[in-house]
Amino acid sequence: MKYKDELIRSMKWLADKDDTIFIGQSVLHSGNAIYNTLKDIDEEKRIEVPVFEEVQMGMSTGMALNGIVPICCFPRFDFMLRCMDSLVNHLDKMQTMTEGTFKPKVIMRTSIGSTNPLDGGVQHTQDYTMSFKSMLHEVDVVLLEEPDNIFTEFQSAYNGDRSTLLVEYGDYYNDK
Amino acid sequence: MDKKELISFEEDIKKIYEDGKIKAPVHLSGGNEEQLIEIFKNVDKDDWVFSSWRNHYHALLHGVDKEFLKDLIVRGKSMSVYSDKPKFYSSSIVGGIIPIALGTAMSIKMKGGENKVWCFVGDMTFESGIFYECYKYSRNFDLPLQFVVEDNGLSTNTPTEETWGGKQTPPADVYHYEYERTYPHHGTGNWVLF
Repeated sequence: MKYKDELIRSMKWLADKDDTIFIGQSVLHSGNAIYNTLKDIDEEKRIEVPVFEEVQMGMSTGMALNGIVPICCFPRFDFMLRCMDSLVNHLDKMQTMTEGTFKPKVIMRTSIGSTNPLDGGVQHTQDYTMSFKSMLHEVDVVLLEEPDNIFTEFQSAYNGDRSTLLVEYGDYYNDK
Repeated sequence: MDKKELISFEEDIKKIYEDGKIKAPVHLSGGNEEQLIEIFKNVDKDDWVFSSWRNHYHALLHGVDKEFLKDLIVRGKSMSVYSDKPKFYSSSIVGGIIPIALGTAMSIKMKGGENKVWCFVGDMTFESGIFYECYKYSRNFDLPLQFVVEDNGLSTNTPTEETWGGKQTPPADVYHYEYERTYPHHGTGNWVLF
């Protein structure tokens, strides 16, 4: 299967779980590539939120504290810089701060913006994978480079007991 | 727990800290015992309580075991007190706790639960943008989230009103009280040799 098809398959698998919810911008309303991998999922499972990345990330952490597994979607990696306090100072520190008592599991999706056929420019196409890996210790960062790995990576993210950030390539939606 | 017991707990911690036995900052509570005792009459034992770096009184009044709390503080975790039963979590980053409290409140509503989330913030945090985003969202979606603004006029030692050039009046559905803190921002006010 192709890159985008594997993403759709993974989202359907996650949507079948009772404890998951999809949250973010353009998860319920069209507007970016990630939407096209979610549009066939029950609307009840999708929460469209305002553009408030810091709150979205923190909300997802709070939901996870109470037993929900949020699939927290940020359309582009660039936008995730707006949620760094919630991600780095909170989600990524919670197991240490609570000595393993609280282990919130959040699955994050983001995408390195495509440059072909339209180039989004320097504010919409950055790849911060290595920077995030160096900052995050309780959150795994996974780069989705090949279609063959996508489904198993999302399965691992759901079945594990850590939070995971899965990074997609916008260009691969058409190319692979 | 009554006022005397709360004060006594912090005096005990103060002594341990001044003996050089706590190798981390401590943020002692004080001066707001009566207000908090009244507020916690409304907090159910199964509610979630989210707090900040100054959290000892909140933890005690929510029913966190006194000895467990003392052990945490002595081990240097005054700024990150937590408990699973009762449910209690704190953060030492200004404003960072608010969206987490919001999400927990949202999950309670999604699951059809009846309990509430309580979120204690200081007056500087109340003035921040993230408070207003979360407050607005919680009210528009009717989430079981109760905010409490504890107003001592300071953030560390930075005066809230002076630096903002004024202060906002909390909405009517937000608990708000003013008090004068007994202890400094952190420590006890006495020089300690470690």
